[in-house]
Amino acid sequence: MMVSMKARSPKSLPGADPVACKARIFPRFAWAALLVCAAAGCNQHPDAQFVQNRLRMAANEVPGDIQVQIAEILAAMFGTPNDPFVPPESGLDVDKLRMAAGPVWSDELGIKHGLYRRHCAHCHGITGNGKGPTAAFLNPYPRDYRPGLFKMKSTERAAKPTLDNLRAVLREGIAGTAMPSFKLLPSDEIDVLAEYVKYLSMRGQMEEALVRFWFDEVDAGELIPEIRDVLVDELFAPIASQWEQAYDAVVEPEPAALPGTERSRKELVASINKGRLLFHDAKKGNCMSCHGAGALGDGQVNDYDDWNKVVVEFEDNHQQADLRALDVLPPRTIRPRNLRLGVYRFGRRPLDLFRRIHEGITGTPMPSSKGTLTPEEMWNVVDYVRSLPYEEASRPRHMETSIERVRM
Amino acid sequence: MSGKFWAFWLLLVPILGVATMAAGPLYGIWFPRDVSAHGHAIDHLFYFILWLTGIVFVGTQLTLVTFVWKYQAGKRQTVEYTHGSHHLEVVWTILPAAALVFIAIYQMNAWAMEKMDRPPGKPLAEVTGRQFEWRVRYPGQDGELYTPDDIFDVNDLHVPVGEEVLLAVKSADVLHSFFLPNFRLKQDVVPGMKQFVWFTPMETGKFDVVCAELCGWGHYKMKGQITVESRSDFDAWLARRFEEQQATHETAGDEES
Amino acid sequence: MSSTAAGDLAHAGHGEHVHAGGFLTTYVFSRDHKIIGLQFLFSTLLWFFVGGLLALGIRWQLAWPWAEMPIVGNLLFASEGGQISPEFYTMLFTMHATIMIFFVIIPILAGAFGNFLIPLMIGADDMAFPTLNMLSYWFMWPAFLAVGASFFVEGGAASAGWTSYPPLSVITEAAPASGTGQTLWLIGITCVGVSSMMGSVNYLTTIIQMRAPGMTMFRMPLTIWGMFITAILQAFALPVLTAAGFMQLADRVVDTGFFLPEGATANNAPMEAGGGQPLLWQHLFWFYSHPAVYIMILPAMGMVSDIISCFARKPIFGYKPMVFAIAGIAGLGFIVWGHHMFVSGMNPYLGMTFMVSTMLIAMPSAVKVFNWLGTIWRGQLQLTTPMLFALSFVSMFIIGGLSGIFMAATPVDIFIHDTYFIVAHFHYVLFAGTAMGVFAAIYFWFPKMFGRSMNDGWGKVHFLLTFIFLNGTFFPMHILGAVGFPRRLADPYHYATFRHLQPLNEFMTYCAILMVASQAVFVVNFVYSMFFGPKAGRNPWHANGLEWSAPSPPGHGNFDFQPVVYRGPYEYGSPESDADYYPQIQPPPEQEAAGAALEEAKT
Repeated sequence: MMVSMKARSPKSLPGADPVACKARIFPRFAWAALLVCAAAGCNQHPDAQFVQNRLRMAANEVPGDIQVQIAEILAAMFGTPNDPFVPPESGLDVDKLRMAAGPVWSDELGIKHGLYRRHCAHCHGITGNGKGPTAAFLNPYPRDYRPGLFKMKSTERAAKPTLDNLRAVLREGIAGTAMPSFKLLPSDEIDVLAEYVKYLSMRGQMEEALVRFWFDEVDAGELIPEIRDVLVDELFAPIASQWEQAYDAVVEPEPAALPGTERSRKELVASINKGRLLFHDAKKGNCMSCHGAGALGDGQVNDYDDWNKVVVEFEDNHQQADLRALDVLPPRTIRPRNLRLGVYRFGRRPLDLFRRIHEGITGTPMPSSKGTLTPEEMWNVVDYVRSLPYEEASRPRHMETSIERVRM
Repeated sequence: MSGKFWAFWLLLVPILGVATMAAGPLYGIWFPRDVSAHGHAIDHLFYFILWLTGIVFVGTQLTLVTFVWKYQAGKRQTVEYTHGSHHLEVVWTILPAAALVFIAIYQMNAWAMEKMDRPPGKPLAEVTGRQFEWRVRYPGQDGELYTPDDIFDVNDLHVPVGEEVLLAVKSADVLHSFFLPNFRLKQDVVPGMKQFVWFTPMETGKFDVVCAELCGWGHYKMKGQITVESRSDFDAWLARRFEEQQATHETAGDEES
Repeated sequence: MSSTAAGDLAHAGHGEHVHAGGFLTTYVFSRDHKIIGLQFLFSTLLWFFVGGLLALGIRWQLAWPWAEMPIVGNLLFASEGGQISPEFYTMLFTMHATIMIFFVIIPILAGAFGNFLIPLMIGADDMAFPTLNMLSYWFMWPAFLAVGASFFVEGGAASAGWTSYPPLSVITEAAPASGTGQTLWLIGITCVGVSSMMGSVNYLTTIIQMRAPGMTMFRMPLTIWGMFITAILQAFALPVLTAAGFMQLADRVVDTGFFLPEGATANNAPMEAGGGQPLLWQHLFWFYSHPAVYIMILPAMGMVSDIISCFARKPIFGYKPMVFAIAGIAGLGFIVWGHHMFVSGMNPYLGMTFMVSTMLIAMPSAVKVFNWLGTIWRGQLQLTTPMLFALSFVSMFIIGGLSGIFMAATPVDIFIHDTYFIVAHFHYVLFAGTAMGVFAAIYFWFPKMFGRSMNDGWGKVHFLLTFIFLNGTFFPMHILGAVGFPRRLADPYHYATFRHLQPLNEFMTYCAILMVASQAVFVVNFVYSMFFGPKAGRNPWHANGLEWSAPSPPGHGNFDFQPVVYRGPYEYGSPESDADYYPQIQPPPEQEAAGAALEEAKT
């Protein structure tokens, strides 16, 4: 860009003398430019890395070298955030994982890659540990997939979610939380994301299995190479098969107990009244003990879900624990649902509510009522819960007055 | 550097300016397709202003370029020593004022149509903006919102084609803005304020719902979809959604929620 | 101050530590308007750089969404592979705008140039209230520190937009930065407001009371008129913003409910105090911020007028109409704020009234453009660097001003509100307009400030590069706006309708990067010339204003004689003068003869 400019000394500008300094400016400019370029070019390219489950490592006092070995085993089994692969027993589709993994880019055909990082990582974290950059500011926290516990599913309490369950969460989002609906993504992209969530969960479960194995079985020794492969098979196979068996564990209500499709108003009201009684009966539904006598979710507020319980237990055992250094969010108590709002996190169909009552919610203090309620009684409670948002007591008082402005 | 050199660069402004605005429609980088009954009023007004300002733009820029080209130091020995022209000031005050007042009056109708003349009747649906999604609620068979037969959906708004659609819009938390580019419709939704928007879709298809007011980190994610379909398809869809919502057991091929 | 001391200072170069009082009193806590002006100048130019970097972050994300961002990605998002988070993007555009508006444009116009030029141009020895003047600079520092610190607090710097609309900005859980970051932002804005109000009081008093003999109001240069009317705008509009800022602070910290409706909640936060209105903030904010945009251009318009007249060697065309146009813009500027709120939920009838006043405000702006063209008509144009920047100001302002008419038309605004059409408009008036005017002013008054001239050749290189690349960056935004491309989206290509716009955004980003890089030419020229530039005399441009009769740089007290004004500032090409200019302080021939006779009689 060195344009040679003839210095003009216009008659009306006798004071200016532009010529002399030019020769001295250029070298300084060139050096400055070179420095800038060098600084920019010396930028290291950070590669996303999986992070270890430091909390579990610390809780089990796993020494540093074992942590390294665990990391190596996991890398050998599952690859990296840019380059995933899986043991064949997992039943996962590696092509889908490759589409989900890595940085965000589109190929010539416009097919998108890096889907997980595009849509999920900033909340759920690259490792699926529920600790992306945004996570600390969300209420509730995003899901940590690593324990392999999922709330939103149609299967039995102890079972894993089906792939359909994961897709459903992606499609509908979770009402009342920061998890948005991805309904408008093409269905193949939803499939890819569900697959990758499963992958991260399996990986996290394997990490936990390795930690416990070392803690239980190996007495300050190494995970010696010869037995590594065997261990991997023994530890990983149950994880994979649990996921495989999810479809067998879907909760289907007994057809005999189903409420009729064409019920009269009287029948419905009778069911609702029965449900109300069961709701408040300490020996039957016992719902009010957590959800409150007014169903406002204020029955008890001091319990934790499983993800936070682990942190609280750790804090109790290690008084000086620095949670930040362990990559852990401050624990929060779990609030039972305010049933008068009409906000249902896993679907508002009677079937969905039935499943909640039948199995409870995995990972939370919401218990299964299989032992205390018959299926007919559960349907009564379902009717009652569904009627709650429309009760007079549920209407927000203030919104009806003139304070709510109606524009044009 | 002579005046000609600089005049050339200043000349690029009107040339490239006009070229860019012309190239836009040519390369498909222009207005989204308008599928509403009244959207054309807005497009028409835009074009009217574009032409008017375009002429002023080209005129003033060319004047500037000409002057820079012509009136270089050294070529003339004297300047036109004047402090102005009262006459000219009057002319170029009155003319722009008249044009602007004309535009102001010309567009009042379009504004009233979009924002003031609310059609009578009950809303077809209520759309609630929430961090970071659009929650849709239809009144159901009884025609009343906030009754047990309401039908719920998220990010997926269906409306019938060819009819005037009235929607109630509100916000559950912070400010959002309900923007339908293909209907030239935008309304900020304010918590604590119930508002209405209305439009008449003229073509079937799926179109975007965009959030147009910063609402947090997920503002860019707040994408919805509005599906315009025939009245019979719309009724069928609504009925199907209601049935799904009442499900007590899974039916074949039915893992929706 | 004795004349010898003043004389000493007048000849003091840089680096000479002069007189009792030491370094701190002379250069840091100075009450001399020129030093304060330079303090403002250096601070704002540094923040200009920061704001520019933030803009590059925005442009990077829009060109290559979710790609690894240079430097920042490495530092803050290494575990995500350098990919920024969505809330980081919201912080980028919020802080870019906040810094550019409150730490760059407003202080550089009023604080740097207003301070430096006003006493010099009206023939005063300093401002009316020198200590208040010093305070007005030092009140910027709490703002600098608060906003600077906000980048490092948990949740990051404010990210609810520079417009900071509640409830997003008020409910702390609504956005990560709506915690501490937003509070620090409010503190920063309040401090800037106090600083500006102090400045306005000073400027108004100085201009009204301290003009040299013969300097009637209608002999003041348009720079001063611009500063004067801007000071009035500041004085009347700022208190509203400050009050609104306190109200928002109260809502955030002590749970009042000015801006929150009943049951306001977000992100499952507990419900906040209610009974308020989110729209109230918008009204209060824009009541200030609309006059603020005129605050951000009127001084530049004034300075550009002076520069154009000087280098056309012709009087300004229509001086009084120009003054009335400035006043008209300012006056009308108080009654148009609602045009930012056409689709906000404000009563549509108000939409109509604001539309009419907004349409009208284009008129005085048009008058000014025509008068600038009239000034260069049949002039003797000297296309120096300041003149080039000033002419490009006119050209770019035409674009910015005309694009405003689209958004004044309320139905059209329904479509283009919160799209890139708006972004195009304000960048044309603020950057292509005011910033170019600021560059013109820097090149023009640099000799007066530092006693040395900037290199005109490199200045032209800087001009051409900036001119080309800014148009490449901002003009396509008009097209984007027509497509409906929304503002403030971290990933607009989430929408299929906007995916084909990514190449255009890439082009704009390349232009933006090159534009920022071109400023290196300016920085090097500036810094080098400050120390090693050729020495400038009192009046290197042969201009008429009073400031050009003071030494370069002026010492304490500014003038080494008592200025008396005999004419207006635009008597270039006057037949009464032998030269092609006729300084304001030069006595007319008869008086000169009489004066000489008097001198002779004395001796």
